[in-house]
Amino acid sequence: MAAESISVIKLRNLLLVTVPPDPDDDTVSALQEQVLEAMARHEAKGLVLDISTVQILDSFFARTIAETVQMVALMGGRTVLAGMRASVAVTATQLGLTLGGALMALDVDRAFDRLQAVPTLGGGV
Amino acid sequence: MTEPHPGELPIQSEADIVMARRAVRNAATALGFGITDVTRIVTAASELTRNIYQYARSGAMRWRALHVKGRVGLELVFEDCGPGIPDVARAMEKGFSSSKGLGMGLPGAKRLMDEMSVWSEVGKGTTVQVRKWLKK
Repeated sequence: MAAESISVIKLRNLLLVTVPPDPDDDTVSALQEQVLEAMARHEAKGLVLDISTVQILDSFFARTIAETVQMVALMGGRTVLAGMRASVAVTATQLGLTLGGALMALDVDRAFDRLQAVPTLGGGV
Repeated sequence: MTEPHPGELPIQSEADIVMARRAVRNAATALGFGITDVTRIVTAASELTRNIYQYARSGAMRWRALHVKGRVGLELVFEDCGPGIPDVARAMEKGFSSSKGLGMGLPGAKRLMDEMSVWSEVGKGTTVQVRKWLKK
Protein backbone atom coordinates (compact mmCIF):
# COMPACT_ATOMS: atom_id res chain seq x y z
CA MET A 1 0.00 0.00 0.00
CA ALA A 2 0.93 3.65 -0.01
CA ALA A 3 2.46 3.41 3.44
CA GLU A 4 5.27 1.25 2.08
CA SER A 5 6.48 4.02 -0.17
CA ILE A 6 7.86 5.95 2.80
CA SER A 7 11.55 5.41 3.31
CA VAL A 8 13.45 6.43 6.41
CA ILE A 9 17.05 7.21 5.53
CA LYS A 10 19.76 7.33 8.16
CA LEU A 11 22.48 9.89 7.53
CA ARG A 12 25.17 9.96 10.18
CA ASN A 13 23.19 10.29 13.41
CA LEU A 14 20.11 11.83 11.82
CA LEU A 15 17.04 10.45 10.08
CA LEU A 16 15.65 11.84 6.84
CA VAL A 17 12.08 11.13 5.81
CA THR A 18 10.46 12.44 2.65
CA VAL A 19 6.73 12.96 3.18
CA PRO A 20 4.62 12.09 0.10
CA PRO A 21 2.69 14.93 -1.64
CA ASP A 22 -0.87 13.96 -0.73
CA PRO A 23 -0.82 11.19 1.88
CA ASP A 24 -3.98 9.58 3.24
CA ASP A 25 -4.53 9.27 6.99
CA ASP A 26 -3.18 5.70 7.11
CA THR A 27 0.04 6.76 5.42
CA VAL A 28 0.46 9.66 7.86
CA SER A 29 -0.04 7.31 10.82
CA ALA A 30 2.33 4.73 9.33
CA LEU A 31 4.93 7.44 8.83
CA GLN A 32 4.80 8.27 12.54
CA GLU A 33 5.26 4.62 13.53
CA GLN A 34 8.14 4.07 11.13
CA VAL A 35 9.90 7.22 12.31
CA LEU A 36 9.68 6.30 15.99
CA GLU A 37 10.80 2.74 15.32
CA ALA A 38 13.79 4.02 13.32
CA MET A 39 14.65 6.59 16.02
CA ALA A 40 14.97 3.77 18.54
CA ARG A 41 16.77 1.34 16.21
CA HIS A 42 19.39 3.82 14.99
CA GLU A 43 19.70 5.78 18.23
CA ALA A 44 19.26 8.86 16.08
CA LYS A 45 19.75 12.34 17.50
CA GLY A 46 17.37 14.11 15.21
CA LEU A 47 14.79 13.89 12.48
CA VAL A 48 14.42 15.85 9.27
CA LEU A 49 10.97 15.70 7.70
CA ASP A 50 11.21 16.81 4.09
CA ILE A 51 7.77 18.31 3.36
CA SER A 52 8.82 20.14 0.19
CA THR A 53 6.45 18.12 -2.00
CA VAL A 54 3.53 18.25 0.45
CA GLN A 55 0.59 20.00 -1.22
CA ILE A 56 -1.78 20.15 1.68
CA LEU A 57 -1.50 20.16 5.46
CA ASP A 58 -4.84 19.68 7.18
CA SER A 59 -5.57 19.45 10.90
CA PHE A 60 -5.18 15.66 11.07
CA PHE A 61 -1.82 15.75 9.30
CA ALA A 62 -0.63 18.67 11.44
CA ARG A 63 -1.72 16.98 14.66
CA THR A 64 0.15 13.79 13.72
CA ILE A 65 3.28 15.80 12.91
CA ALA A 66 2.99 17.70 16.21
CA GLU A 67 2.64 14.40 18.08
CA THR A 68 5.63 12.96 16.25
CA VAL A 69 7.72 16.01 17.14
CA GLN A 70 6.82 15.55 20.81
CA MET A 71 7.48 11.81 20.74
CA VAL A 72 10.85 12.31 19.07
CA ALA A 73 11.65 14.92 21.75
CA LEU A 74 10.81 12.39 24.46
CA MET A 75 13.32 10.06 22.82
CA GLY A 76 15.96 12.76 23.02
CA GLY A 77 15.79 14.00 19.44
CA ARG A 78 14.95 17.22 17.65
CA THR A 79 12.77 17.51 14.58
CA VAL A 80 13.17 19.93 11.69
CA LEU A 81 10.49 20.36 9.05
CA ALA A 82 12.16 21.23 5.78
CA GLY A 83 10.81 22.99 2.73
CA MET A 84 7.25 23.93 3.55
CA ARG A 85 5.69 25.47 0.45
CA ALA A 86 4.51 29.07 0.68
CA SER A 87 0.92 28.10 -0.18
CA VAL A 88 0.93 25.49 2.59
CA ALA A 89 2.41 27.97 5.09
CA VAL A 90 -0.30 30.53 4.29
CA THR A 91 -3.06 27.95 4.62
CA ALA A 92 -1.67 26.40 7.82
CA THR A 93 -1.47 29.84 9.44
CA GLN A 94 -5.04 30.76 8.47
CA LEU A 95 -6.25 27.42 9.71
CA GLY A 96 -4.49 28.07 13.02
CA LEU A 97 -2.30 24.98 12.90
CA THR A 98 0.63 24.56 15.24
CA LEU A 99 3.33 21.99 14.73
CA GLY A 100 4.38 21.09 18.24
CA GLY A 101 7.46 23.27 18.41
CA ALA A 102 9.24 21.74 15.44
CA LEU A 103 12.17 23.67 14.05
CA MET A 104 11.64 24.86 10.50
CA ALA A 105 14.09 25.16 7.63
CA LEU A 106 13.84 26.29 4.03
CA ASP A 107 15.29 23.06 2.68
CA VAL A 108 16.86 19.77 3.75
CA ASP A 109 20.39 21.16 3.54
CA ARG A 110 19.59 23.93 6.03
CA ALA A 111 17.64 21.47 8.17
CA PHE A 112 20.80 19.38 8.64
CA ASP A 113 22.71 22.54 9.48
CA ARG A 114 20.15 23.40 12.14
CA LEU A 115 20.36 19.99 13.77
CA GLN A 116 24.15 19.88 13.72
CA ALA A 117 24.16 23.34 15.30
CA VAL A 118 22.04 22.26 18.25
CA PRO A 119 24.60 21.89 21.03
CA THR A 120 22.60 19.73 23.43
CA LEU A 121 20.40 17.54 21.34
CA GLY A 122 17.15 16.83 23.08
CA GLY A 123 18.05 19.22 25.84
CA GLY A 124 14.76 20.93 26.40
CA VAL A 125 12.75 23.62 24.64
CA MET B 1 -9.61 28.51 -17.71
CA THR B 2 -11.73 25.49 -18.49
CA GLU B 3 -15.15 25.09 -17.03
CA PRO B 4 -14.97 22.07 -14.71
CA HIS B 5 -17.93 19.68 -14.89
CA PRO B 6 -20.04 19.63 -11.77
CA GLY B 7 -19.64 16.41 -9.87
CA GLU B 8 -20.49 14.37 -6.86
CA LEU B 9 -18.38 12.02 -4.78
CA PRO B 10 -19.60 9.67 -2.07
CA ILE B 11 -17.67 9.92 1.22
CA GLN B 12 -17.71 6.49 2.79
CA SER B 13 -14.17 5.66 3.73
CA GLU B 14 -11.02 7.36 4.86
CA ALA B 15 -9.60 6.92 1.35
CA ASP B 16 -12.46 9.04 -0.01
CA ILE B 17 -10.96 12.05 1.81
CA VAL B 18 -7.99 11.83 -0.57
CA MET B 19 -10.34 11.34 -3.55
CA ALA B 20 -12.27 14.45 -2.50
CA ARG B 21 -9.06 16.48 -2.25
CA ARG B 22 -8.08 15.41 -5.77
CA ALA B 23 -11.48 16.19 -7.26
CA VAL B 24 -11.51 19.64 -5.64
CA ARG B 25 -7.92 20.34 -6.67
CA ASN B 26 -8.76 19.53 -10.30
CA ALA B 27 -11.93 21.65 -10.30
CA ALA B 28 -10.28 24.64 -8.61
CA THR B 29 -7.23 24.50 -10.87
CA ALA B 30 -9.42 24.22 -14.00
CA LEU B 31 -11.36 27.33 -12.91
CA GLY B 32 -8.14 29.29 -12.76
CA PHE B 33 -7.51 29.62 -9.03
CA GLY B 34 -3.89 30.29 -8.08
CA ILE B 35 -1.79 27.85 -6.09
CA THR B 36 -2.50 29.48 -2.70
CA ASP B 37 -6.25 29.57 -3.19
CA VAL B 38 -6.21 26.01 -4.55
CA THR B 39 -4.41 24.95 -1.38
CA ARG B 40 -6.95 26.82 0.80
CA ILE B 41 -9.90 25.23 -1.01
CA VAL B 42 -8.41 21.72 -0.95
CA THR B 43 -7.58 22.06 2.75
CA ALA B 44 -11.13 23.20 3.55
CA ALA B 45 -12.48 20.23 1.57
CA SER B 46 -10.20 17.91 3.51
CA GLU B 47 -11.50 19.21 6.85
CA LEU B 48 -15.14 19.02 5.80
CA THR B 49 -14.95 15.54 4.25
CA ARG B 50 -13.17 14.32 7.36
CA ASN B 51 -16.03 15.77 9.43
CA ILE B 52 -18.47 13.65 7.41
CA TYR B 53 -16.36 10.53 7.82
CA GLN B 54 -15.77 11.12 11.55
CA TYR B 55 -19.25 12.14 12.66
CA ALA B 56 -21.64 10.68 10.10
CA ARG B 57 -19.59 7.81 8.64
CA SER B 58 -20.99 8.48 5.18
CA GLY B 59 -22.22 11.32 3.04
CA ALA B 60 -21.34 13.07 -0.17
CA MET B 61 -19.50 16.04 -1.59
CA ARG B 62 -20.78 17.97 -4.60
CA TRP B 63 -19.01 20.68 -6.52
CA ARG B 64 -19.94 23.14 -9.26
CA ALA B 65 -18.68 26.29 -10.88
CA LEU B 66 -20.52 29.54 -10.13
CA HIS B 67 -21.11 32.47 -12.47
CA VAL B 68 -22.82 35.33 -10.67
CA LYS B 69 -22.84 38.88 -12.02
CA GLY B 70 -19.58 38.41 -13.86
CA ARG B 71 -17.90 36.75 -10.92
CA VAL B 72 -16.57 33.21 -11.14
CA GLY B 73 -16.41 30.90 -8.17
CA LEU B 74 -16.39 27.35 -6.92
CA GLU B 75 -19.07 25.94 -4.66
CA LEU B 76 -18.64 22.81 -2.57
CA VAL B 77 -21.50 21.15 -0.70
CA PHE B 78 -20.94 18.53 1.97
CA GLU B 79 -23.99 16.54 2.92
CA ASP B 80 -24.57 13.77 5.41
CA CYS B 81 -27.41 12.04 7.24
CA GLY B 82 -25.44 11.83 10.47
CA PRO B 83 -26.27 12.86 14.04
CA GLY B 84 -26.46 16.58 13.20
CA ILE B 85 -25.01 19.49 15.15
CA PRO B 86 -27.06 20.57 18.20
CA ASP B 87 -25.52 24.04 18.37
CA VAL B 88 -24.10 25.24 15.05
CA ALA B 89 -22.97 28.60 16.49
CA ARG B 90 -20.93 26.80 19.13
CA ALA B 91 -19.49 24.37 16.56
CA MET B 92 -18.26 27.40 14.65
CA GLU B 93 -16.14 28.57 17.59
CA LYS B 94 -12.46 27.88 17.27
CA GLY B 95 -11.34 25.23 19.69
CA PHE B 96 -14.73 23.63 20.05
CA SER B 97 -14.84 20.00 19.08
CA SER B 98 -16.91 17.08 20.20
CA SER B 99 -14.49 14.50 18.86
CA LYS B 100 -10.78 13.86 18.81
CA GLY B 101 -10.19 16.40 16.08
CA LEU B 102 -8.55 19.72 16.65
CA GLY B 103 -11.83 21.61 16.67
CA MET B 104 -10.78 23.32 13.48
CA GLY B 105 -13.09 21.57 11.04
CA LEU B 106 -15.87 24.10 10.63
CA PRO B 107 -14.22 27.33 11.80
CA GLY B 108 -10.99 26.44 9.98
CA ALA B 109 -12.80 25.78 6.72
CA LYS B 110 -14.71 29.03 7.11
CA ARG B 111 -11.52 31.06 7.41
CA LEU B 112 -10.11 29.45 4.28
CA MET B 113 -13.21 30.08 2.16
CA ASP B 114 -15.13 33.27 1.27
CA GLU B 115 -18.59 32.05 2.28
CA MET B 116 -19.95 29.29 4.43
CA SER B 117 -23.49 28.21 5.28
CA VAL B 118 -24.38 25.39 7.63
CA TRP B 119 -27.76 23.69 7.98
CA SER B 120 -28.12 21.00 10.57
CA GLU B 121 -30.85 19.14 12.34
CA VAL B 122 -30.23 16.74 15.19
CA GLY B 123 -30.97 13.20 14.10
CA LYS B 124 -31.37 14.22 10.45
CA GLY B 125 -28.02 15.35 9.22
CA THR B 126 -25.82 18.26 8.23
CA THR B 127 -25.21 20.22 5.06
CA VAL B 128 -22.27 22.57 4.73
CA GLN B 129 -21.94 24.82 1.70
CA VAL B 130 -18.75 26.76 1.03
CA ARG B 131 -17.78 29.10 -1.78
CA LYS B 132 -14.60 30.68 -3.02
CA TRP B 133 -14.58 33.47 -5.60
CA LEU B 134 -11.92 34.00 -8.17
CA LYS B 135 -10.07 37.30 -7.65
CA LYS B 136 -9.99 39.39 -10.78
